[in-house]
Amino acid sequence: MSRSRTSPSRITRFSAVVKYELLWNIRKKKFLGMIVLAFILATLSLVLPVILSNVTNQPLNQNPDYVISTGTGIGGLGFFLFAIVTVMNSISGEFESGTIVPLLTKPVSRTTIFIGKVFAAFLTLFTTYVILTGYLAIGGTIVYGAQNSLHLLPISLMGNILSTFVWIAIVLAIGSISKSSMIAALVTFGIWMGLTIASPIISMFSDQTWILHYVIGSGATGYIEGLGSPNPLIPGMPISTGTDSIATNLINYILYPSANVTFFKIGILGPGSPLLVELYTEALSLVVLRSILVATAYILVFSLISWYAFRRAQVLQ
Amino acid sequence: MVAVEFAIETNGLTKRYGPLIAVNKLNLKVKTNTIHGFLGPNGAGKTTTIKLLVGLLKPDEGTISIFGQEVVGDRPDVRLRMGYMPELPKFPKHLTGYELLDIYGKMYGLNVQERREQVPRLLEMVGLKDRGNDRIGKYSKGMQQRIGIAQALINNPELVIMDEPSLGLDPVGMVEVREIMNAIVKRGMTVFISSHLLHEVQQVCSHITIINRGITLASDTLENISNQLLGPSTLEVEVTKLTDAIVKNVKKVPFVSSISKEDNKLLIQVEKQEDVRPQVSEAVTKSGGVIVTMNLKERNLEDVFMKLIIKSKGAKTK
Repeated sequence: MSRSRTSPSRITRFSAVVKYELLWNIRKKKFLGMIVLAFILATLSLVLPVILSNVTNQPLNQNPDYVISTGTGIGGLGFFLFAIVTVMNSISGEFESGTIVPLLTKPVSRTTIFIGKVFAAFLTLFTTYVILTGYLAIGGTIVYGAQNSLHLLPISLMGNILSTFVWIAIVLAIGSISKSSMIAALVTFGIWMGLTIASPIISMFSDQTWILHYVIGSGATGYIEGLGSPNPLIPGMPISTGTDSIATNLINYILYPSANVTFFKIGILGPGSPLLVELYTEALSLVVLRSILVATAYILVFSLISWYAFRRAQVLQ
Repeated sequence: MVAVEFAIETNGLTKRYGPLIAVNKLNLKVKTNTIHGFLGPNGAGKTTTIKLLVGLLKPDEGTISIFGQEVVGDRPDVRLRMGYMPELPKFPKHLTGYELLDIYGKMYGLNVQERREQVPRLLEMVGLKDRGNDRIGKYSKGMQQRIGIAQALINNPELVIMDEPSLGLDPVGMVEVREIMNAIVKRGMTVFISSHLLHEVQQVCSHITIINRGITLASDTLENISNQLLGPSTLEVEVTKLTDAIVKNVKKVPFVSSISKEDNKLLIQVEKQEDVRPQVSEAVTKSGGVIVTMNLKERNLEDVFMKLIIKSKGAKTK
């Protein structure tokens, strides 16, 4: 005899969705391939200096800031690629393969399914980044000796996850609207590529570099004067203001809380050109806070678009 | 919980795809604890109707009630009482059969102990006991169909909706599916089954609804629809020597509406779905006749189906 069942708690249904999605994430070939690639690159970054040092018979200098300056070892391209391999199929792939049909007919609301999928992506990335950071921390200590500021690694980790989630939100939104993994990946790649090309050009030659502070990706390039560069042509330690640089900027802010960032452009039309033209200076704290807020705003807006599209989606095929 | 008469009830249910009306003011009533067949030719609107019932599509007009609860928007509480097996179901290839049922069971609120009992039981029922730990990506079409049936029953639902459950199965698989359906209705479940296999539906369903181009053509018990559409059934009796006395006495048998003769054969038209063979046999014997063969030409679902579809096509042409 069938029986009437009391409604399962939200947490039970949510954890079922998370398990469903996590098992998918960690068994995706492209995700596993990306992890292998990340570990190969991390290993090379550790081992190559040692090999070069042995080949050239020059001793390897101790670098106590190697780990904190490297973090997960993942930059803008890495965030973009991890976002693609983690969530490009999460929603659109379910529609393409038809697996959305049994899933949506289970007693779980679409909102719970959506949040469960996003949370599973977070857990997947968090675990991956923790392992990568741990691997680089141990390897960096072995290769470059005792390391400074290791207690800041969790902040670096969260910064990197925030940066990746901007791309994740974009991939999910495009995937939910188009219901095509290929379109989600290609359009996001187009955005990444466009910004990667346009941002440095605007940053170098335009008076309006401030626009880049509100754009995803690398953003504008500024310099912390008095730090870093021994090259007299470079006015200081370069930093990027975009959503991809949250972790680095957070660490810099904690290490140099009163630092200022100056933005320049290259003047190519005036007398004596080309020359560096100073545009404006702002506090590093403002740069960091703004990039976090911009990233959060993008994540919220694209997630809302994605959630709305998923909630309203009808399964026609 | 208050018992309701209808597990499924739709009123004026309409779904359009652009200019095409896939479901047109459909009034469907499925009584609780019945196996209700849902029939129609390809493109009749069966799968669209089912998708509307389970919430995969939103109706343009009309209402849907499941066990008296109106389904508007995303209603997980209503789906809690249902099991659904889609047409040619697709499941995540990365999961094993066991994992799939375990996760779906958790979504229905089954605790660990319940899942440990229910999942192996269902895998055994659908013949996948030894393949439960294999990834679904390695399953054949028939095995995916079987796991589809298992997942539709994971929560011991009160209502099971099956869209073409025998599609892609070999004859042995079809028989097994039929046995499963008979078994689940004995457990007090209502089964709503869409199928193009008329023979299968006739064997398992007590009620049927026939639709074409999104419009209901008939909905009742098979017997009532047959009586309304096909008129009397024919009993063919062959005797050694046909006499007037035999004809006279057979005419007196209740529900016999007319008799015609053909050599030594009597063609007896019988009103309603009554079995008058014993009375006819008695009448022939009393008249001194000896019966060689007796054959009741039963009205089957195929006759009903074809008559309705041809009729609806004729109406459309006019």
